[in-house]
Amino acid sequence: MTANGITIDDTFAEAFGMSATGVIITADSPKWARQAAVTMSGFGTSVIGCGAEVGIDSELKPDATPDGRPGVRVLMFGFSPEALIPQLKNRVGQCVLTSPGSACYAGVESETRIGLGAGPRFFGDGYQTAKRLGNKRYWRVPVMDGEFVIEETTGVVTDAVGGGNVLLLGNDREGLLETAEKAVAAIGRVPDVITPFPGGIVRSGSKVGSKYDGMVASTNDAFCPTLRGAAKSEVAPDTVAVLEIVIDGLTSQAVATAMKAGIDTILKDGAGKGVTRISAGNYGGKLGQHHYHLRELLP
Amino acid sequence: MSGLTFRLSTYPDERLDLSPLTPSRLAATPLAEMLRIVVGTTKRQLKVGDVFAVSGQPGDTVTIQGGSEHLDFVGAGLDRGTLILDGDAGAYAGRKMTGGELHLRGRAGAWLGSGLSGGLVTVKGSAGDHVGSTCPGDRFGMTGGIVVVEGNIGARVGEKMRRGTIIARGTAGTNAGSRMVGGTIWAEKGFGPGPGTLLRRGTLIGAKVDQMLPTFADSGSHDLVILRVFSRFLSDALGPLAPRSLSGRAHKFAGDLATIGKGEILIVS
Repeated sequence: MTANGITIDDTFAEAFGMSATGVIITADSPKWARQAAVTMSGFGTSVIGCGAEVGIDSELKPDATPDGRPGVRVLMFGFSPEALIPQLKNRVGQCVLTSPGSACYAGVESETRIGLGAGPRFFGDGYQTAKRLGNKRYWRVPVMDGEFVIEETTGVVTDAVGGGNVLLLGNDREGLLETAEKAVAAIGRVPDVITPFPGGIVRSGSKVGSKYDGMVASTNDAFCPTLRGAAKSEVAPDTVAVLEIVIDGLTSQAVATAMKAGIDTILKDGAGKGVTRISAGNYGGKLGQHHYHLRELLP
Repeated sequence: MSGLTFRLSTYPDERLDLSPLTPSRLAATPLAEMLRIVVGTTKRQLKVGDVFAVSGQPGDTVTIQGGSEHLDFVGAGLDRGTLILDGDAGAYAGRKMTGGELHLRGRAGAWLGSGLSGGLVTVKGSAGDHVGSTCPGDRFGMTGGIVVVEGNIGARVGEKMRRGTIIARGTAGTNAGSRMVGGTIWAEKGFGPGPGTLLRRGTLIGAKVDQMLPTFADSGSHDLVILRVFSRFLSDALGPLAPRSLSGRAHKFAGDLATIGKGEILIVS
């Protein structure tokens, strides 16, 4: 298929079922709410190596947060609710509790709950107090700039999706990156999804396995332009770079909507920036439960 | 909105126990049987039919028209639906309520909302002593729910209260929150003498305190995020009934240091 001068492969993105949770971080200013969220999201690109995939879903205006201050919603994806518990505890304890003026609340609502303030409250060393309002319980932990307020639990869902993806191929590396940035920005406006890699973009797509023992993944040689001719290649002779956008979402529909938003942007802006082709990563369809066919996501 | 209406046909010359008159207790009761429910508290055994004219059909709402300070236990044990008293209530209104809404459009007597664990109680006028407090035999006072009193509240509001919220748009009397172990009391126009006597945990919020106990420590002025959370909670739970929004600025007094001292009195302007 071709649209706007860009070839779209007749293929699909293969994604996996995951568990997900989330928090709302507030602070005195949007800058400091975002600072805490960015810090918490650090080293949260791939569940394989980081233990969780973490990213900012959206920035919240004061009227949309539990304490009427500016906020940011962070989503976190992992293999299971149990695997998310230590990640949440450590990231909130080290990156949000420590951030000036911060407070932390549940960012996902579901019947299944996991501890949020259950661990960090003990930082109060006995001076922490609880406040129950309605069916929610908050902890007030005294800290050096006042109190750190944190909700006791947050929701966790087990029908989330991780690994939705779009590949951009082109003959202009800078133009490709610029287009990918725009696509990530468009995806950022879709609720309930994150793009966990740096700036939302992956330049080191991987394949399963390696020639070396102990490596569970290694470079996707078929999409490495510098290996063209030396290895079995998937890239055209004029392709100089391939970038991937990986998408995790609370629902399969959210991932599909995000992929569509990204593809729309690439098709709209990409041709003039050297994008020649759009593709998607999969494992033959045998590993992931969710398949997103590109032809079904075209405008 | 379907429901029953009980119109007071004669001023009761004895105290009445109106706890049977809730939507769930009357849901499957035929009218003839309803009229035979005993509400009197003396050996005369006054029945509903002796003091009320009943109309309507059982449903989500019970309305009692005509109030008296002799009407005790209005909405006691209410678990769902709405009960409206178009007049004054006696003692124990909303006692042991677990859900639903109780709206008193006059004044309320003592022990309003004692043992309340859920639901909403509103009072158009003032309320007597011991609002949300423990009764003899109870382990705790209020353990949940919200009480909003448009006027003033008497002495010892929230005694041994554990959870929930009590709001007085006016003042709260002496020894508010005594022996309290949790929850929040907000007296918009301030507290009488000695609030928080033997307070263990919990929060008292008010514009002023007539006489602070010496066992409360001045912790200074602060911007408390939890007050903003509290305001947002009230706004969501009460809608137009919610009091003004709190900025978070408060002068904190920690106590009662005669006990574990994890409670607080917050003076807000």
